[in-house]
Amino acid sequence: MVRYTIQRLVYMIITLLIIATATFFLMKLLPGSPLTNQERLSPEQQQIILDKYGLNDPLPVQYVKYMTGLAQGDLGLSFQYDNRPVTQIIGDRIGPSALLGFQAMVLGAILGILVGIIAAIKHNTWLDYGSTILAVLGISIPSFVFAALLQYYVGVKLEWLPVALWGEYKHTILPTLALTVGVVATIARFMRTEMLEILNSDYILLAKAKGISKVGTVVKHAVRNAMIPIVTILGPMTVAVMTGSLVVERIFAVPGLGEQFVLSINTNDYTVIMGITLFFSVLFIAVIFLVDILYGIIDPRIRLAGGKK
Amino acid sequence: METNKSKIDQLSPDLFQQRKAGEDEAEKIERPSLNFWQDAWIRLRKSKGAIVGIIITAIIMFFAIFGPSMNDHKFSDQNIRHAKLPPKIEALSGISWLPFDGKDADGFDVYESRQVEVNYWFGTDDLGRDLWTRTWSGTRISLYIGILAAIIDFIIGISYGGISAYYGGRVDDVMQRIIEILVGIPNLIVVILFILIFEPGIFSITMAMVITGWTGMARIVRGQVLQLKNQEFVLASRTLGASSNRLIFKHLLPNVMGPVIITTMFTVPAAIYTEAFLSFIGLGIAPPRASLGSLVNDGYRSIQSFPYMMFVPSVVISLIILSFNLMADGLRDALDPKMRK
Repeated sequence: MVRYTIQRLVYMIITLLIIATATFFLMKLLPGSPLTNQERLSPEQQQIILDKYGLNDPLPVQYVKYMTGLAQGDLGLSFQYDNRPVTQIIGDRIGPSALLGFQAMVLGAILGILVGIIAAIKHNTWLDYGSTILAVLGISIPSFVFAALLQYYVGVKLEWLPVALWGEYKHTILPTLALTVGVVATIARFMRTEMLEILNSDYILLAKAKGISKVGTVVKHAVRNAMIPIVTILGPMTVAVMTGSLVVERIFAVPGLGEQFVLSINTNDYTVIMGITLFFSVLFIAVIFLVDILYGIIDPRIRLAGGKK
Repeated sequence: METNKSKIDQLSPDLFQQRKAGEDEAEKIERPSLNFWQDAWIRLRKSKGAIVGIIITAIIMFFAIFGPSMNDHKFSDQNIRHAKLPPKIEALSGISWLPFDGKDADGFDVYESRQVEVNYWFGTDDLGRDLWTRTWSGTRISLYIGILAAIIDFIIGISYGGISAYYGGRVDDVMQRIIEILVGIPNLIVVILFILIFEPGIFSITMAMVITGWTGMARIVRGQVLQLKNQEFVLASRTLGASSNRLIFKHLLPNVMGPVIITTMFTVPAAIYTEAFLSFIGLGIAPPRASLGSLVNDGYRSIQSFPYMMFVPSVVISLIILSFNLMADGLRDALDPKMRK
């Protein structure tokens, strides 16, 4: 297990280094300069600004500076927001995004697992068909369409919940719902397939033969085993929620990371784009790492297969 | 007994025909021999979802091909006097729950008051461009991107996965490490960075998706080939002196086609979604061209007063993704031998 963990850790660090390097060089290739959005500046003033941000140094020097800064958690200064450090911007914006993401994941997992279990137990009944159809719809309707529809019907037409903005708890409900639909649908589909496979297996037959009640078989034997593989889709789910947050936050005007990212793209705020990109990547890689390790602990077959190499 | 025998004697022999041995069909238990694809097709036809998916796709493709030329408006024709007209289809205007009666949100017939003679089937946007034409030419772009991404994904994924698994050893090791690192990078981030650098457009969107999109396919192909390459039929062919090329193309690839096709089918909706997503955050197709995503984005801006502008492209894009998902689900059940009942 230790060997497996170290192996994963090494991959994680290599991946991070590559992402940081790639982001750095890609940003250098970007069209437009951070000065294009400013008031007209004389060439001298532009020089002073470029010097200040270290943009006149040779590329290797910039690269080394950037990487050492990164190692110390310094993501540079924003070009747009009066030199505010990017780390600070991310810190200010992370709260709403984290809350929404967390709520969407937890709600999605609970609902998805429940729907999946019900569909599998009631296999080939209208409950099964109904939830399968809803799940396919859930993965098919793009999150931004769903978010806009929610906003229009629940917010504007029915006026049950605030249309947008941020502040009280009720402001989080609609964005969470918009983010969670995809999670519920994916987990429900996955759970249903797993449950169906397990319900047909020999040990369930044995449990039934022993005379264990239906509830006991499902809860103690089927559900527990079906939930193990769910761990593996937590990684992709995090990404889906992260991706969704870009549009959902924009639609509901949530002051989160996703909204900031889209905003920065439109204003060529390189350092902020780079910072948020790296932040998302680190988050994603950390989740994948945790999922791998967790899965290795839950299911020993995985780490054995990895270690044999 | 005696009477029976006389009865038989009365029958003349030419009433009977001799049955030859070996022609006895009754003993035979057999169904017509079907190859993999015929078998899969029979199972696919049984899946209601897949059939619905095929029909929806066919209808959408029909409109994507012929829709833009069904009326006289071009996708870029602007007519400010006809701006923001609600949808009106003469044949459907009697049905009250359908929004095709040419009335705005307050039930006010805009066509009458503004004296517009032409009917805009899906209405017009804020520059007076015909949304019917724009929706279907947007569908063209979305479908084109989806299918192109799937094809490139297919080619790169198969070659990479196939080579990695077939040659094994150090080649496989290095190639797998590369994939492992690529998989760790969030897709959307790469796509967004890529589009920021190159001009937003159909080509860069497709390329951006292809750069990261093939890893899943490569992994699936590798897994399949690893399973297959040690099987007896491959050994037999190798013993007979078959070349690597022959082994790969004649024996291994045809056998991995099932999972590959399923993965390709799932790539199409994913690519269409990514494009729509990018267009929605303003990184997609540049105006005056429109994709479904950018139409949804345009419509979203005026959703309060003109909801139809967003609903129509939203419905179309959801239907496209839905129908491809349904087809892929059906195909997965049909091509998976474990599903054979």
